[in-house]
Amino acid sequence: MIPRIDFTGAADGFSVRAVAVRAGQVPAECAAVSAAAGFSGEADTVCDVLGGAGRILLVGTGADPGVADYEAAGAAAASRALRSTELAIDVRGLREDAAVGCLTGALLRAWRYENLFSAPPEDAPRLARVVGITDDHGLELRWAEHAAVLEGVTFARDLVTEPSNTLTPEGFVARLHQLAAAGVEPKLLRGAALREAGLTGLLAVGGGSAHPPALAVLRWRGDGAAPTVAFVGKGITFDTGGICIKPAEDMWEMRADMAGAAACAGAMLALARRRSPAPAIAVLALAENATGAASYRPGDVLRHAGGTTIEVVDTDAEGRLVLADALGWVLREKPAAVIDLATLTGSVVTALGHEMAGLFSNDDVLAEAVMTAGKAVGEPVWQLPIDASHRDAISSEIADLRHCSPLRGQPDACHAAAFLREFVGAVPWVHLDIAGVESRAEASDRYAKGATGWGVRLLDRLVRDRFEGPGRA
Amino acid sequence: MLDVSFAAPALPASGALALLVREGAEPGGLWKAADEATGGAVGRAFAAAEFTGKEGQTCTLLAPGAGLSRVVAVGLGKDAPTERRLEDAGGALAAALSREPSAAVAADGLTGAQAMQVALGAALRAYRFDIYRTRIKPDEQAKFAALTVLTDAADAAATWPAQAALVRGVFVARDLASEPANVLTPVEMANRIEKLRELGLGVEVMKPARMAELGFGALLGVAQGSANEARMVIISWNGGEAGEKPVAFIGKGVTFDTGGISIKPAAGMEDMKWDMAGAAAVTGLMAALAGRRAAVNAVGLVGLVENMPSGTAQRPGDVVHSYSGQTVEVLNTDAEGRLVLADVLWYCQQKFDPKFMVDLATLTGAIIVALGHEHAGVFSNDDDLTGKLLAAGLATGEKLWRLPMGREYDKLLKSDIADMKNIAGRPGGSITAAQFLARFVNEKTWAHLDIAGTAWATKDQPVWPKGATGFGVRLLNRLVADHFEAG
Repeated sequence: MIPRIDFTGAADGFSVRAVAVRAGQVPAECAAVSAAAGFSGEADTVCDVLGGAGRILLVGTGADPGVADYEAAGAAAASRALRSTELAIDVRGLREDAAVGCLTGALLRAWRYENLFSAPPEDAPRLARVVGITDDHGLELRWAEHAAVLEGVTFARDLVTEPSNTLTPEGFVARLHQLAAAGVEPKLLRGAALREAGLTGLLAVGGGSAHPPALAVLRWRGDGAAPTVAFVGKGITFDTGGICIKPAEDMWEMRADMAGAAACAGAMLALARRRSPAPAIAVLALAENATGAASYRPGDVLRHAGGTTIEVVDTDAEGRLVLADALGWVLREKPAAVIDLATLTGSVVTALGHEMAGLFSNDDVLAEAVMTAGKAVGEPVWQLPIDASHRDAISSEIADLRHCSPLRGQPDACHAAAFLREFVGAVPWVHLDIAGVESRAEASDRYAKGATGWGVRLLDRLVRDRFEGPGRA
Repeated sequence: MLDVSFAAPALPASGALALLVREGAEPGGLWKAADEATGGAVGRAFAAAEFTGKEGQTCTLLAPGAGLSRVVAVGLGKDAPTERRLEDAGGALAAALSREPSAAVAADGLTGAQAMQVALGAALRAYRFDIYRTRIKPDEQAKFAALTVLTDAADAAATWPAQAALVRGVFVARDLASEPANVLTPVEMANRIEKLRELGLGVEVMKPARMAELGFGALLGVAQGSANEARMVIISWNGGEAGEKPVAFIGKGVTFDTGGISIKPAAGMEDMKWDMAGAAAVTGLMAALAGRRAAVNAVGLVGLVENMPSGTAQRPGDVVHSYSGQTVEVLNTDAEGRLVLADVLWYCQQKFDPKFMVDLATLTGAIIVALGHEHAGVFSNDDDLTGKLLAAGLATGEKLWRLPMGREYDKLLKSDIADMKNIAGRPGGSITAAQFLARFVNEKTWAHLDIAGTAWATKDQPVWPKGATGFGVRLLNRLVADHFEAG
């Protein structure tokens, strides 16, 4: 959950109040205490003042702050006020995007998942309400569209956090009622419908589990007056690795292996809640990659609906198989662009660490638009290559393709992207490998620990910038 | 290296002939002459082999008559051939002609620059490193030694000497990287670099005593486990205006990397003989610049050490004082390249105040996991220099891909007891290595090339046989030629 938000014009009467301070512009009322604490408004600094009027958090933004700095300031304030039930943030005098940044940062930082505690631990965060102190009544009126995005992010984070014994493919499907309530039209393919559609990858990957796979199709019609933008998400609700089973250490983290699907669903929720004019569709490939008597095997050859034969090398490279099916399926919608999100490879973590997602594309214009959107919302992506050697690495001796290279220490993220590219035809396509950014190992001033909901804001921003309004693609 | 000469287009009376064929285009004059002289054998053979001139296609015809020992056709593809494709075609013909002591290539229909490009590709591919093979059977012996380019473009011959100098530079780098580590110790490598004085290069060799005096604690910490002494070599070429700031190139020269006390697994450790490929490339580059009398002031600095486990080796947990004054906690002795580069980079900017510094290093396995073997990684604090490097990479086929840097990555180097630690874990491993180096460039314009995936080829490629590639020499020579030479 995240705290609810209210707005007020009155600055008094709050036990905890935060103010964003630009470098060298400490408010006069706090000058003495700031000087004593050595606080001058530099970025990443906070001055915590306890006085007669309550607690005041002065949060530095640096000299020339952008929206990201204001988000960081809001987050830093919230991270220090988590044990209070209420935090007021004084955004008077800020530009609207800066004010929104402060409040957004605070709300996202205060997110937590409490559903499974019998009783919250004593030191659990209690922040339940954020109050924006503002002179601008318009801010509250316009907040609904920001709330829509925050709801989408929260929805995705909750899904990523939920354990796999309840968040099975069916469990995931059940959670989608929240989208239906918002006006998204869900459609489900299961069992015979999957076989009929030839989604052999999804059936193979999900075959070893007692919880059968499903393809969830989420449609938002928008104003219906433009081509559809399509999102495709990897939704492996738990990934044991299958027959090529993973080591036990840290295997529990694989409950987050559906973060791509969660991000797509969250983005659809955001678009619906803010009544976006852009038609959008999300295709979620939902399966559990279990080890079972009916599991698919290394060496198996699958026939993709489009006819391409695929040799399975490693059953733990399952994501690209279910994505190939979902990508192939979505082409029938003749989308203007396809963006897929997947916690796909360890290789991308070695390449880029936990600060950026990897981007692969067949279209420079779309790639640039995605990078711009990611930068704007603090979900940065970095483009990586798909070169001839990567395509060579997925040639098979006995089939049209193999889905990964059997060698270790190779650029598997690039190989996976080369594989996916085979299934998108000529449609502008971006693949985001979000392994490494779907959750954070540690809490900080800036970020909550755990699920990030990475991708929801990026997709929402991309749609807003590129697929709404007169110049839309 | 391949002896390249130029002659007017005429069918040779004997020996081998290579033909370059555009797909779907009218055959050239020499093609027709060869076909006629052999009574149509050339045309019939290529038709039978379904040779159409597709890019990368080759076809060999033995003893077709007219005194010719062999005719090789190489496809150039449909469209106007690019630099890259001409070079690759040159490489392909050299591979197909390896048993011929000499051959002629029909370059009629090509411009002088294009003909030269073919010759360059052939010369690069015809490289051999067989000094340690004492019992080569005659039928395994590669013989290709001379290529005559048949062209009437007058400028081809005139531009060749500069290209030949470049090829020699590439071969200097390949030879050094190919040498085994029992032969090529730091001292031996320094000796070989000293021989390059004959090209007009200045060479200064710095020994451990002097480095200790200066305070090269990071570099010497790596070297202290080996019986082979470290060296730093400063190579200089003053072809530019007197007093003009030089451009600077810095190479990692770990002549063998066992990993030290953080020893590597045995499998594949033999590859660590080429952990000096960065230093080899810098050496080759300087040889190329001198060989073609480049109008530039350039310095090349290489840090040469051997990383061995022993009773005197540095330990994980040791803290060293680098030449910059910054302290480094060595948490993994196998992250040694950055320690060597740290002192050499700092020395370079202090001593020479260069226009920019580019370092080359086989630095991380992570770069292979990130990019593979087709692109090397480039990291930089300067967009303009990066853009020039990327363009030079595309122009020469030594391709680069930029990877990010930033404050969030830099933070991961934080040490509990020193200014920084030398590793930051697997995630973003190549990036954190670059962040480490960035702390030693003193905010100079700088780029770092991580060439661990491109310095050595496990199979033949068009313009390099399996083995040491010399990656970086052509790239940086092009960078200098396109942007930093007067006139």
